[in-house]
Amino acid sequence: MGNMDTEERRTDQFPVGMRVLAVDDNPTCLRKLEELLLRCKYHVTKTMESREALEMLRNKSNMFDLVISDVEMPDTDGFKLLEIGLEMDLPVIMLSAHSDHESVMKGIIHGACDYLVKPVGLKELKNIWQHVVKKNIHSYKRNIGSSRQLQPSSESNPATSVSRKRKEKVNDSGDDENDSDRDEDYGDGSEQDGDESSTRKKPRVVWSQELHQKFVTAVQQLGLDKAVPKKILDYMNMDGLTRENVASHLQKYRLYLKKIDEGQQQNMGPDAFGTKDSSYFHMAHLDHGLRDFPSTRQIPSSSLLSRSHLNKFHPSVYSSINPQGINSSSFIQQGHHHQNSNSSSSANPFGTYHHNSLLPRSQSVNLSPLEPLQFPRNKSSAYMGDFKSIGDRGLGGGFLDSRMSFGSSSTSLPSAPSNNMMFQANYTQPLLRPTEGNQSCLDGALSNSGVHGLSRFPSNNTWQGGLKPARFPSNSLPLNHGFNQDQLTTYAVNNGMEDCTSLVSSTVNPVGENMHCEPQLLGDFIGNMNTLEGQKWEEQSCNLLNNPFGNLEYPVVPASNMVFRDNNNANRSKELVDESLMSPLEESATTLNNHQEYVGKPENAGLVDNQHDVFDDIMNEMMKQDENNGMVSVATRFGFDSFPPA
Amino acid sequence: MQRQVALVKQSLFDQGYLDEQFMELEDLQDDANPNFVEEVATLYFKDSARLINNIDQALERGSFDFNRLDSYMHQFKGSSTSIGASKVKTECTMFREYCRAGNAEGCLRTFQQLKKEHATLRKKLEHYFQMARQAGPKETARRPK
Repeated sequence: MGNMDTEERRTDQFPVGMRVLAVDDNPTCLRKLEELLLRCKYHVTKTMESREALEMLRNKSNMFDLVISDVEMPDTDGFKLLEIGLEMDLPVIMLSAHSDHESVMKGIIHGACDYLVKPVGLKELKNIWQHVVKKNIHSYKRNIGSSRQLQPSSESNPATSVSRKRKEKVNDSGDDENDSDRDEDYGDGSEQDGDESSTRKKPRVVWSQELHQKFVTAVQQLGLDKAVPKKILDYMNMDGLTRENVASHLQKYRLYLKKIDEGQQQNMGPDAFGTKDSSYFHMAHLDHGLRDFPSTRQIPSSSLLSRSHLNKFHPSVYSSINPQGINSSSFIQQGHHHQNSNSSSSANPFGTYHHNSLLPRSQSVNLSPLEPLQFPRNKSSAYMGDFKSIGDRGLGGGFLDSRMSFGSSSTSLPSAPSNNMMFQANYTQPLLRPTEGNQSCLDGALSNSGVHGLSRFPSNNTWQGGLKPARFPSNSLPLNHGFNQDQLTTYAVNNGMEDCTSLVSSTVNPVGENMHCEPQLLGDFIGNMNTLEGQKWEEQSCNLLNNPFGNLEYPVVPASNMVFRDNNNANRSKELVDESLMSPLEESATTLNNHQEYVGKPENAGLVDNQHDVFDDIMNEMMKQDENNGMVSVATRFGFDSFPPA
Repeated sequence: MQRQVALVKQSLFDQGYLDEQFMELEDLQDDANPNFVEEVATLYFKDSARLINNIDQALERGSFDFNRLDSYMHQFKGSSTSIGASKVKTECTMFREYCRAGNAEGCLRTFQQLKKEHATLRKKLEHYFQMARQAGPKETARRPK
């Protein structure tokens, strides 16, 4: 049984047909396990090699509902599999012959949703489906007797597949309060209780962008140290918001800030993101533009800064672009700092982006925000390796990936090239604070600059050749750390080579040259940056993706990155990046040499391979879009739903 | 005939060659999956033969890499457990203890014992499966005719 024709069918009969990935290097055990699972009416895919399992998880993000794996495989790392599954927000059950306290503890701490001691029996396996439900509980609840459809996409119907439920859940970032807002484009903190009240103690508040912005403004006004829920609540002066809502949001916000700080300061390994802190991501998502930026930026568009949502920034970006130029230096500095964090994150969250449509809201674009990086969540591209949180598949992921890579690449260039990026970024993304939270923003900006640079890229044959390997593996899971490096390298190189010099101060040139000659170094550097920043990126990208408001706030840095990497592939990712980045770029076009190239292009309706076209389209599109819909609609328009197939 | 098969099987349990895990395997066998137990048993013997070989070679080399030996034995024990090869499993456990204690002598001795048990079980199971086949469907270890 197990093989249902459609997801719906599988879901309807769930747990029948639940797709399980079973991993054990012992053939006898594996065969028995498989049979036991089949007896439970699950659909089983088995493998003796965790490498193969990892590949399957990465490449087919939506393929499984649950992973069950031995963790004592001598030649493989069961915990790695665990991490990846977690990033993809998949429940992972550990199997082990050891039942001692420490082993069990270790497994649970690593995030296993259950720990079974071998030999396992039918009894134990009959109920493992509960873990799938737990992971998607919001979706389940919503679908059970829901008269209220929260999913904006056409997919929203009660009989969604398990994977879809998982996606939804990812969007929810696992937080009650955020549960339904991601799917909806609400602007205010209205309470949504719906059918979930039975298990909730308090009504859920949707932390929309506006609401969050108010919140952040309040916190900033009061000062983070002095910001207590009561005062914040008074400051915000919103009906329907309770002190408890604010308190919990504040807690998440603080955690988010803390994580950003930590991420910046250290190289966050795969575990960094490993928490299933969807709320955290959500927070980051909402907050990316707001955190502590003002102190570092003198940007007049402080109001912009205070807006954490890119979608809003769209118009404001334009207005603030010019002044931004001045701040580029500050940006750059900031950028450096943040760069590290970006690199790694780019890859992960989005690794699966092409698989999932993260944007429930976007009409058909898979651009959906990466489902919250909740760690083990599948929604956000699988975090493989370094990026835990990102795990969500779907476009959002992909999109972010490109963005992330972009960001990372920019960040990885500590030298001038990165400065260039930043500089450009400044122009384009005034809102993007250099803070960690904004790292992605910066990157996005950078990507913009990168984009500019890219225009010339196609002409760089050598680059192209070199870039190929660095292509963003559209179907790879975000955990591809190495990937990031490649991407970054490419990006860095491209940027350094092309536009940095023109766009940025002369300091860039040397770097650019270096890069040109030594892409490898850059790559390494970028790689390092990635690891450092990866976490950040993830968070950021997750945030972006998770943007409950459905806006791709984050400048699609990764997209830019993608562009660079594969200049002929102006794939959607590029477009995506461009969209967000382009609009600001438009304004600053005059300041950017390369920009002109883009500006002149006619608008394309669809994805174009030509970078220029893509950018133009995006820019045009962006300009036409209203703030809130900019990213989404653009994405839709461009039909971004997967990364370049190559 | 089928009763004989049942008796043979019962004796295997009684003598401790097999434990309840074997019964679990049988539970998984049904009309849709008529050879499951034999299939798994075959898989087991194939895999364990390979492991025994590896261990033999490692021991012959004389250099007692206890970690490696322990690792082999971990596998061996795992599969033995999953099919319910009780006596074999016991020997595996002992072997591992000697490994951990760094007792080469103990390892060698235990390994001999282990091989013996393994061979015995193999013979008995082969006999059992053969009988079951002859007895026709109805018993757990049956084959389609």
